Order: sequence, then structure tokens, then C-alpha cells
Amino acid sequence: MSAPLKIPPTQESSAAPVRLTILQGQAKASSDPAVEMSTILGSCVATCLFDPRARVGGMNHFLLAEPPEHTRSTSFDRDYGLYLMELLVNEMLQLGAAKGRMKGRLYGGANINPDLAPIGSANAAFARDFLRREGIEQVHEDLEGRHARRIAFRPASGLVRCRTVSRDSAPTQKPLARPQSAIGTVELF
Amino acid sequence: MSTAPASQAQPASPPDESIRVLTVDDSASMRALLLAALSSRGFAVEQAEDGQEALEWLATNEVDVIITDINMPRLDGFGLIEKLRASALHAERPILVLTTESSDEKKARARNAGATGWIVKPFDADKLTTALRRVTH
Repeated sequence: MSAPLKIPPTQESSAAPVRLTILQGQAKASSDPAVEMSTILGSCVATCLFDPRARVGGMNHFLLAEPPEHTRSTSFDRDYGLYLMELLVNEMLQLGAAKGRMKGRLYGGANINPDLAPIGSANAAFARDFLRREGIEQVHEDLEGRHARRIAFRPASGLVRCRTVSRDSAPTQKPLARPQSAIGTVELF
Repeated sequence: MSTAPASQAQPASPPDESIRVLTVDDSASMRALLLAALSSRGFAVEQAEDGQEALEWLATNEVDVIITDINMPRLDGFGLIEKLRASALHAERPILVLTTESSDEKKARARNAGATGWIVKPFDADKLTTALRRVTH
């Protein structure tokens, strides 16, 4: 008679998942094995970063808009995109991650309506360019195309599940305006 | 007869009148953004990738004002400000912190370390320009 098969619990399966939804304009990081971050993407892009040594991961979610009137001639609001990327990196640094060890995965950026300007592709290009310039290795991408995606990310293991979903389940494609707080406030001491 | 070309009649600010700015940020994207925004507005821009590089450069070079990020490897913005304030050469140098940090605790820490001002990213180039002119006046 054989002994009953025992499957050792993994870190991930042993803990009841704590689900975090990452909304447009947000960036969150965690080292908790129970945390699963998820989001649904149409034209929006999500960046998943993971430091395998610190076992810290984080996700942001953005759709860059046309830039404010006073900014330069870029086709969309790169400055705000940079801010959301930096927010993600900083959240991870605070949990012990190191930028030089981070690996990047990119998702979303679909061009769902073929009659409209390919805003998804523009956002995808921005995200790829950011990782390249910052020296963060891009290990995977599932970008562009015509389909909405649902992403589930375990920040402590770096594991990502991505599946296509009906475009009806993707949130509104409206680019996010800069929040009122993000206006470059200057305070001299 | 015709007058001199506009470029001669109204020269741009000569280089020796430019305000010299050192930006300290570990993000290559942010450095590119600052370089474009500030040099197009007439500032002479030098750049360092972290506090340590800035400190080494400043040991033998002078600028009018320093703009520094907080979160950087090797030597962060707080450390850079503290070390500069302890040096004879840069004790009075205007130092503006440019950061994504929004906590009052971090702002107070920068102020206590001797920062001249606190600017929240994403920055507005015109507000940044005004601040630079004011602190170097």
C-alpha cells in the first residue's frame, strides 16, 4: 500500500489570497505572498516589476492622455507616465527592492476600436521605452492587438497570469486626467 | 538702411549669465526630461545619477542651484543635502528637492536637513523655472 500523496503547501497556496485591484492611475507594491494584484486592461498598460532576490513586486496601470496645453509637442502626456513609473519603482524600493535587479513585464495597450487613433500602441511604446532607458530588463510583453486582458500578478513570486477577456469587461478607455495634486506644487522653506 | 538682424540686435542671454543647475536623479528618463525643460529655458544644466556622483562632482565644480531626487542608490537625497550643508563650499547653496514623495514626514526631514524647497513630481516646468530664479536671485 502506498503512502497517501502529500503535496507540500507552497507559500502561495497556503495563504488565503488578499486581492488588490489596481485602478488606472495607481501604483502598488508588496512582498506579501498572499497578495494577488489584478486589473482589467483595454488600451491601458500595466507594468509588472519584480525583484527576484528581495521577492518584491509591484504593478501600475495607466493610459496616458494628451498632454496639458503648456507642455511640449509630445503626442501624449509622457511626464505623467514617468511619474506613475517612478511611483511604482519607489514603492518597491521602500520594500527593499533594488532597481538594478528588477525585471519588467508589460501588458495591455490594445487598440480596441480600429477607427480611433492607436492610443494603446502609443502607451505600449512609452512603457517599452521607459524600461529600456532605465536599464530594467523586459522579460515579457503581451501588448497591443485588439483584445482586452485580465491580469493577475503575485508580487512576492513575480508570477503573472494574463488572459484575454471580452472587450465589454474592460473599463472605459478614457485617458486619465492628472489628479489635482499632480501639478508640480512648489514650496520654498 | 536696414538694421542689424534680430539675432544680433537682441542676443540671447550670454552663457556667463545663465543660471547653472545641477540635477541629481537616478532615472535616465527623468534626467532627459529635466535637461530638455531647463536647457530650453536658458539654464546651463549639469547632471548626476545619484548623490554620490553629485558629491564627487561638486568637490571640484560649482553651480548656482541643485535639484535633487530623494530615492537614489548609494547616496540618497537626504544624505546629499546633509553632506553639502556640512561642507564649507556648499553650506549656503540653494538645494531644491524634486520628488514623488508626498509625505509630510519626508518633507520635514528634507527641511531639517537643510533643503531650500520641495517640489512635487510630475513637475511643471514654468513653476520650476520660477523657483530656480527666485532661489538664485
